[in-house]
Amino acid sequence: MDILVTVIAVIIVALVFDFTNGFHDTANAMATSVATGALKPRTAVLISAVLNLVGAFLSTAVAQTISGGVIKEGSSGVDITPTMIFAGLVGAVLWNLVTWYLGLPSSSTHALFGGLIGAAVIGAGFGAVDWGVLLSKVIIPALLSPLVAGFVAMVATYAAYRITRNARVHGSETGFRHGQTVSASLVSLAHGTNDAQKTMGVITLTLIAANILPAGSAPPLWVIASCGVAIALGTYLGGWRIMRTVGKRITEVKPPQGFAAETSSAATILVSSHLGFALSTTQVTSGAVVGSGLGRKLASVHWGVVGTIATGWVVTLPAAALVGGLAAWVASTSLIGLVAVGVFGLAAGLLIYRLSRRAPVTRHNVNESAEAGENRDDTRVAVGQEG
Amino acid sequence: MQNFTVHTAASNGSFLGVDWGSFVVVFLVALVATAVVVISYAVALRLLAVGAPLDVQGGAASRRSVRRPVAATVGAIVCLAVGVAAVLYGIWLIIPQFH
Repeated sequence: MDILVTVIAVIIVALVFDFTNGFHDTANAMATSVATGALKPRTAVLISAVLNLVGAFLSTAVAQTISGGVIKEGSSGVDITPTMIFAGLVGAVLWNLVTWYLGLPSSSTHALFGGLIGAAVIGAGFGAVDWGVLLSKVIIPALLSPLVAGFVAMVATYAAYRITRNARVHGSETGFRHGQTVSASLVSLAHGTNDAQKTMGVITLTLIAANILPAGSAPPLWVIASCGVAIALGTYLGGWRIMRTVGKRITEVKPPQGFAAETSSAATILVSSHLGFALSTTQVTSGAVVGSGLGRKLASVHWGVVGTIATGWVVTLPAAALVGGLAAWVASTSLIGLVAVGVFGLAAGLLIYRLSRRAPVTRHNVNESAEAGENRDDTRVAVGQEG
Repeated sequence: MQNFTVHTAASNGSFLGVDWGSFVVVFLVALVATAVVVISYAVALRLLAVGAPLDVQGGAASRRSVRRPVAATVGAIVCLAVGVAAVLYGIWLIIPQFH
């Protein structure tokens, strides 16, 4: 009975995580398209949502391990219990909500890893984590991703402006907007195939751990469908707060820059995932926007905003680990502890949502740049439902 | 790639557990692929605008809205084709059922 409650709790939190992943990461793919006016905000999130849903159904290869080797799972390592997964997910969800509230494009994958690491350390000690894998598979790629994408986007932006005479050539602005829509859609599709699949893996492995599915099972259709719908729904509601940061606050993105940034992101993500050196999607897209700011003459990059984002990236893993660890500590005491963690998580989530309503960012005011990073409160209070 | 070994104390030609050789490859391929797509698309836009008002403001201001030469149109189509091919290849890479 206990195990069944835990499994259900994991599935619910996993879907919530998938949902936050959707609205967190829409910003990555669609922020520049919204900022340049290539797509209307609602159209942008609709396209992104559909592509994420399609992506979820396309890629359903089962993950071998929940953590991709960061936690020593299996016969020689620790058993990741459903309670630990639950606690890790709670940490990831809460950190995703905090960064969303702050408008920071941070990696949902890092939040998930952080939450799981925290839970594993509490559940099985520091020896449970393979720090070498953590460094080489998570931390170093996160440092390199923005540099690579930033440099590529800088070169591409420079070339785009140079060839089209600073985009004064007849029809070039419109042309770049169309090109940008296509590259941004590729980024969205790639995102759907990667990220929805992670949640499917977590749920499927939990079901296997609880002996509900036989070992080595593929995700059942209801898992694929619910994960796809959760990520698409989150995407459609749109992470407008983060989108405004990426599209307007890092640098004021113009169509040639948007095209160069999205093309660089798409190329870097596809190349890296197919040549065996995985780079992080969030870091790639944010880095590309910074690069596109550097590549255009007279464009200003707001380094204060970049610094805040970078700080967010550094803090993401430990912060999610802390919450995940605390959650694991309480949830592993008893069923009541587990329920308490769930209730606390729900309350904290609602609190962050309430805070966000004081200065909502919606599709109506997503393109108001205000002053870089400051003055969140002077944004027009819009009447839209989306937060 | 076997000659691409970074010499460090660690084994397998890696430092901090990272295969720097494949990282360099990823970086270069991403750079070249992006450059090819962005440059060809920008050149296409430039060629499509040959003869249009904004384009002539520099040199021959008298020849306003000249007809676009056939060569420019053909060149633009070729450049756009490069972009279309890149997108199709990208979709092929994303969808696992294709490979």
